[in-house]
Amino acid sequence: MNALTDRDLILRARHGDTESFGELIMRYQTSVFNVCYRMTHERREAEDLTQEVFLRVYSRLEAFDLDREFGPWVRRAAVNLCLNHLEGQKVTAELDDEHDSGETEQPENIYEARERSELIRIAIAALPVQYKAVVELRHYQELSYDEIALELKIPVSDVKSHLFRARKILAEKLK
Amino acid sequence: MKHLTDELLNEYLDHEAEDRAGIEEHLSTCADCASRLADLEALFAELDSLPEMPISRPVVIPLAKAYALPRWLTWTAAVQSAIALAAIIIAIPFLADLLPMIDTRSLVDLAVEAQSQWTGFLDSLSQVQMPSIPEIPIAEFSSLMMALAGVSVLWLLGNGLLLKNQMK
Repeated sequence: MNALTDRDLILRARHGDTESFGELIMRYQTSVFNVCYRMTHERREAEDLTQEVFLRVYSRLEAFDLDREFGPWVRRAAVNLCLNHLEGQKVTAELDDEHDSGETEQPENIYEARERSELIRIAIAALPVQYKAVVELRHYQELSYDEIALELKIPVSDVKSHLFRARKILAEKLK
Repeated sequence: MKHLTDELLNEYLDHEAEDRAGIEEHLSTCADCASRLADLEALFAELDSLPEMPISRPVVIPLAKAYALPRWLTWTAAVQSAIALAAIIIAIPFLADLLPMIDTRSLVDLAVEAQSQWTGFLDSLSQVQMPSIPEIPIAEFSSLMMALAGVSVLWLLGNGLLLKNQMK
């Protein structure tokens, strides 16, 4: 089974071979989880989102273009799902009177965090949702400005400004 | 001297700046811009150095289970069946050539002889006189009944073999 390419596994999964889709999950669940974890910084939430990503991917397997790479496709799907999820949360939070924006984790409040990587994760998680998405797509999925614009359906100028502002915030917080 | 903007430095590091040569020329002579670029590079390095975290709850999709094939219908069984079918198809022409070479008459003779021996045996059984025991009528087995019995036995054996894996 390990010798099979992603393309082979997708073709088999399309014909109802669930073991092949299981193999695809095995191959990409960690990278998808890491996308979700960087976006949410909540392990449980990230694991739930990872599950949701693969459910959606499974239902859209027929639509997948076999000439493209599966890994980047599924990770981009993860970014979009997290983006929608976090934006939904934002709307809910704004509507919630009891929500206290001061509770948002800020690196200034967690100097106790021992590892630098944890500080970076917290700083990324504290970014506005759209900034988080462009940082994820640029730094971790290595997409170009044009590809990010296409993926998030925003102008390239917005991609540039989001990235610029996101990095400015990160640089300030990680000084 | 006009300094490079932060936006331009971002684009430069993202490999999206158009005039890379012009930017590099400026950076070689401007310590201030070179310093700002170094800071930005350090941030890039930090972001890129973020380690991957292991997933502690592996993904399980209930939907995948719903579409699972029946237990007995495995790829192995399908391949074995296909091979058996192919073997039969390949064997048919050879058998067609070989069958005429077999002396079927002698087989018929053997069958007739066997049948006559069998009827003789049945006759001898019918002539046995057992006065103390009530006479039991002996069923007459026709060749059709015998064939049916043989097929039934084969059918039962075949089913037994097929179900063997499922009984485990």
